[in-house]
Amino acid sequence: MSTSTLKYSAETSNALLKEVMDRSGQNLMSCYQCRRCASGCPVGEETGVTPDRLVRMILLGEKEDALNNLLVWKCVACYTCGTRCPNNIHTSRINETLKQMSKEAHAKPLLLKVAAFHSAFMKSISHFGRSNELEFMGLYQMENVKKGGLSALIADIKSLSKLGIAMLRKKRMHFKLDKTKGRSEITALYNRSAKRQGPKE
Amino acid sequence: MEIGYYPGCSLHASSKLYDVQTKDVLSRIGIELSEIEDWNCCGATSVGKQDDFLAIALPARNLGIADATGLSEILIPCSSCYSRTLVSQKTLEGNPELKAEINAELAKKVEGKIKISNILEVLQSKTAEIKEKAVKKLTGLKPVCYYGCLLSRFPSDMPVSDSVENPVAMEGLLKSIGAAPLDWGYKTDCCGASASVNDADTALRLMSKIFKDAIARDANCFVTTCPMCQLNLDAYQDEVSKKYGITKKLPVYFITELIGVSMGISFDQLQIDRHFTDAMGLLKELKLL
Ligand code: SF4
Ligand code: SF4
Repeated sequence: MSTSTLKYSAETSNALLKEVMDRSGQNLMSCYQCRRCASGCPVGEETGVTPDRLVRMILLGEKEDALNNLLVWKCVACYTCGTRCPNNIHTSRINETLKQMSKEAHAKPLLLKVAAFHSAFMKSISHFGRSNELEFMGLYQMENVKKGGLSALIADIKSLSKLGIAMLRKKRMHFKLDKTKGRSEITALYNRSAKRQGPKE
Repeated sequence: MEIGYYPGCSLHASSKLYDVQTKDVLSRIGIELSEIEDWNCCGATSVGKQDDFLAIALPARNLGIADATGLSEILIPCSSCYSRTLVSQKTLEGNPELKAEINAELAKKVEGKIKISNILEVLQSKTAEIKEKAVKKLTGLKPVCYYGCLLSRFPSDMPVSDSVENPVAMEGLLKSIGAAPLDWGYKTDCCGASASVNDADTALRLMSKIFKDAIARDANCFVTTCPMCQLNLDAYQDEVSKKYGITKKLPVYFITELIGVSMGISFDQLQIDRHFTDAMGLLKELKLL
């Protein structure tokens, strides 16, 4: 965490807080820093920032730190924090919102592969309405190159091809392209979503 | 009894065995599954991180199709699909404007009336039949039941039938067919989900804890209902074991697989030979195959 707490400004902090609360649907102001969330968070010990800290950061208006910490990018969306929070604050939803905000701001994601994975997944559904492992993996690798360059791609292909070969051997690889016929509806939903977000991107 | 069925992408692809087992086992206890037409992906674990509108709208299209069948119940075996679809239905129940906005794009409108069930709820409603059809008792099988995250915890309040912190439905079913499930500490902990692909160190670390506890309790296998958990614990077990110095290997069964074995269904029909971590050896050793 940086020392920006010393430069607290009500204006900027209120804007950040309001945006995160509106979009995530979580009432961060009800947090009383009891840390029940932190004790159950499976990634907390390696991220340093635990859910309670993240909530605090946002309350203090530390936007840069809020978008750029390991919790946002390593959260496995296990929903433990929110289930145990006495005030029903789901930090997983906050993390999702912050990932979206980071993308909209064209900020470099802290973990490139996480960002590449999810954006490739959504692209793959937009194509066929269903996720097809092979097509998805291709898109994922393309996103990886776009975001992290060739070295990111090579490192990743090595580990993925191990899984791929095992899947082939165990007849768990699937080659037929699974498609939804009503893809025009899927496209319409994607378009509506883009319209709702406005010309921001 | 006929109920609706949403397999989702996994059960059509890498977890085809779960689809095959589910249909087979349920048909033997009087449940015919009617797969809903032309379904789409629910958005899985990615959509919430990318798009809040689509997170509700993608499962909503499936719900519209399901409502139009006129069936009263739909089974969704994959935990991730189950979670996303249930959250979509409940969100739309409380948000008529959003529902109207989504319905405007859909040929089959969401009404919100179909009951969404997970695999344990459907199996539990037929416990007596499962017991009756169990020609083989699973004696010697000491599983730890692994529920994972998405079957019991949700990003908002959901009405669920089992305990959130200590679910017991799987243990009950396994006991009824002669297995001796063990108590353990990681039944609802996270396997890392898609982190196994995009943040491997995190996922391997989480899985190592799950393996170590299961082994310390002297379990001889895992049982799960989630295709993502199954794939992770099964396909990455080798890598986790090497990295964390774990020597014992445990097969990772779907609940349907074990119920199928107890019914005397053959291994190739159940596709038990399609596991990454050997799943045949233990069953042979216990003379269940
Ligand atoms: S459990 Fe809830 S109230 Fe307690 S610190 Fe965490 S977010 Fe705040
Ligand atoms: S949902 Fe994310 S932040 Fe919350 S406990 Fe799980 S990993 Fe931690």
